[in-house]
Amino acid sequence: MRRQKRKAAGRAAYMALVLTFLYLPLMMVVLFSFNPSKNAGVMTGFTLEWYKQLFSDAEIAATLRNSLRLAALSIGTAAVIGTLGAVALARRKMRLQGLMEGVASLPVMVPEIVLGMAFLAAFSFVRLRLGLATMYLAHTTFCIPYIFLLVKSRLAAMDPQLEEAARDLGARPARVFFTVTLPVVLPAVAAGMLMAFAMSLDDVIISYFVTGPGAQTLPLKVYSSLKVGVTPEINALCTVTLGVVLLAILIAQRIRGVKSS
Amino acid sequence: MKKLLALILSVMLVVSACGACASAEEEKVLNVFTWALYFDYDTLLAPFTEETGIKVNYDYFDSNEEMLMKLEAVDAGTYDVVLASDYILDIARKEGLLLELDKEKLPNWQNLNPAFLGQFYDPDDAYCMPYVAGTPLIIYDPEYVDFPITGYESLWDERLEDSVVMMDDARNVIGITLKTMGESFNTTDPEILAKAEEKLMQLKKNIRALDYNAPYATMISGEAIVGYMFNQQVLYTLQERPELEIVYPEEGLGFGIDCCVIPKNAPHPDNAHTFLNFLMRPENGAAIAEAQLMLSCNQAAEPYLSEEFTQNPVLNVPSELLESAEFIQDVGDAQTLYMDIWTRFKQY
Amino acid sequence: MKKDRRKWLCAPLYIWVTLFVALPLVYVAGVSLCKRDAVWGVTPEFTLENYRALFNPSYLRVFADSFRTSAVAAVISLLVGYPFAYAMAKSSPARRAALMVLVIVPFWTSALIRTYGWMLFLRANGPVNSLLKSLGLIRRPLKLLYTPGAVYLGYVYTMMPFAILPCFTALESMDWHAVEAARDLGARPARAFFTVTLPLTMGGVMSAVTLTLVPSMGIFFISDLLGGGKTVLIGNLIQNQILTARNTPMGAALSMAMLALTALILWIQRRTGGETRIL
Repeated sequence: MRRQKRKAAGRAAYMALVLTFLYLPLMMVVLFSFNPSKNAGVMTGFTLEWYKQLFSDAEIAATLRNSLRLAALSIGTAAVIGTLGAVALARRKMRLQGLMEGVASLPVMVPEIVLGMAFLAAFSFVRLRLGLATMYLAHTTFCIPYIFLLVKSRLAAMDPQLEEAARDLGARPARVFFTVTLPVVLPAVAAGMLMAFAMSLDDVIISYFVTGPGAQTLPLKVYSSLKVGVTPEINALCTVTLGVVLLAILIAQRIRGVKSS
Repeated sequence: MKKLLALILSVMLVVSACGACASAEEEKVLNVFTWALYFDYDTLLAPFTEETGIKVNYDYFDSNEEMLMKLEAVDAGTYDVVLASDYILDIARKEGLLLELDKEKLPNWQNLNPAFLGQFYDPDDAYCMPYVAGTPLIIYDPEYVDFPITGYESLWDERLEDSVVMMDDARNVIGITLKTMGESFNTTDPEILAKAEEKLMQLKKNIRALDYNAPYATMISGEAIVGYMFNQQVLYTLQERPELEIVYPEEGLGFGIDCCVIPKNAPHPDNAHTFLNFLMRPENGAAIAEAQLMLSCNQAAEPYLSEEFTQNPVLNVPSELLESAEFIQDVGDAQTLYMDIWTRFKQY
Repeated sequence: MKKDRRKWLCAPLYIWVTLFVALPLVYVAGVSLCKRDAVWGVTPEFTLENYRALFNPSYLRVFADSFRTSAVAAVISLLVGYPFAYAMAKSSPARRAALMVLVIVPFWTSALIRTYGWMLFLRANGPVNSLLKSLGLIRRPLKLLYTPGAVYLGYVYTMMPFAILPCFTALESMDWHAVEAARDLGARPARAFFTVTLPLTMGGVMSAVTLTLVPSMGIFFISDLLGGGKTVLIGNLIQNQILTARNTPMGAALSMAMLALTALILWIQRRTGGETRIL
């Protein structure tokens, strides 16, 4: 029993270590969001000036809104397409399956600039207007593989007898899907969506090629403003994002804790 | 399967049709396309909208090359005003992507400084309105550099091992190598370029970092003790480290002008002209230069510039030096030679 | 009969992928066989010159360097990430969800800003050097930034969630009874891990390899920012060819070569990952 406990403590310590590694650069960013100087390499004092600017900056608000709307739309679509595809292909050998799976995961593999160039060429070939619509198509395309690959690897490890048992008990395919398959793959879908969200929210290169007037996203603005320096406003925005998400996790944990007790 | 395909296609059509219907009506809108923050919101865009009622959509790009690729893809439409660097606008002009400016609608054109007009990228001043200009300079930390730095040649000094930061740009770095050999920035002669490559390789051991966008951060932190960068980046560095010193390289300065143009198929050319004319007002010319920390191209703006600005040696390069400064121009097919040298230099 | 109907679920995926991935890439393949145009872009004139140029020694070295960097980073990410995924899978379900979000949240902020955070951390006047200095361990700041080590750090950092999550999904859905059975039969923990747990989660490990190794070959801003832009990797090279050199066909040919390399890795993955299907 004590050994079990020691093992658990060891695991927790290891996880804390890795998480520290993951959050280390962000802590620096948080720290520097309170730095009065714009370009200094060291802290020169403490200020909330950048937060004030951030909340009064209409441009950042507009681009952030675009980013979030785009991410939500394209991830929603990608989740449906990717999950259905994974469910259909997980334990089946179809004609061309290897090829199609390869092609489906290509957006992860191909350098973004190639994909961006290809999208731009294809969209201007069919005379699609550059804007939110083309952004949606492009983002959905590179979000699909994250969900598809994760769900498929989850299904590959799942016990196939579960579904068979349900079917043997007379459940219809749709029912099997919603009561057996979906609950099993849901964590993988969630993980894939979280990951795709990160990708969509951070994409610059592909977005650059397919965006048009009125469809500017936040990362496009951040990268483009590099020429005049990383503005501390963006540091402040990162801090706010981080704060909101961590708060949400805390609340979710609380609610669960209340439920289980 | 067929039904699905039809469904997807029709959805696509609807989506794209909607995109079209939004822009069909002629409105008080102006689509500008440049680096972020290059048109200052508070001093330019907001007053412009207030005065004219024209709403400005600000689209960003990261590099000149991306801009050109995009402009070609949209067939010189979509955007009303593009602000980019001289050499790339030269290519755009040669490709016929630009609209000839209607000087009737630009009475403020006379405010411009003639020194910045009639340049290689637009000899007849038909397409480009100069916005700001700049020269890259050398900056160094006198505490760690114990010998005089006079020009590009000094960067090769062995006492600077692993301590120089420069822009990550083939044309600029190969360009200064050519200058140390007494050649032009824009040589296309393969033999001269081969010699320049040999010399360039000896520079590698002195390079601490190559950074196009933020070399000033490397100087500020003390990571590098000598830097070669654009003048606004020099100014960022000096804001934090006023004790650093600048050098006008004796081999001759580089020079660049960023200009506003109107693409050929701009949807709102009238609004675009109104905007350009607005930018050329003296007080706005001064605001532009001060916000961007670059040389002003507007002669009438000079009385409006603050003393701090006019006394700054980084922004007030002696005029005899400016006259001998050289532009980095498009070199056509030799561009691939430059890129190959650059790849080998980085791998060295 | 039932099975047949289910396979139609993949129709949207197939259609989407054909329209938006395969066709655009076919176009890129076409471009790679064309000539560079004098002013800009592409002349529709057939040539194999771009592919011959790939065997230029400096390009071959770029490929080798990129592959080595990505492979080392992928291995380190896996060695760090798998134990983390294991510990995650052993946690209570509520905590698992929170951990998953915690792993991904850093990646919801801009990659540039995260890399910038590392730069602040590593630089000459950053916390590491300041600490060492105040402890009297060093007199001049250590050169941490703009080194190969900093580049590996950046890669491992960026690839970490892509190593952790696939391993975690595999570990979480694994049948832990098999491990218990092995332990009951007297296998030591290490042996049980290598004969049961690892083979059972090989599918996840393989997707982790795919998701880390291959995309990391296309990344370029890390070596630019943390390595000081002193090396050229495939991503930089393609970017430079398309944008700066304005040699789109060469960029396309390099992309095709990279696709071939990717296909090779995927093929190897398929061969080695085949065993997991026994389950």
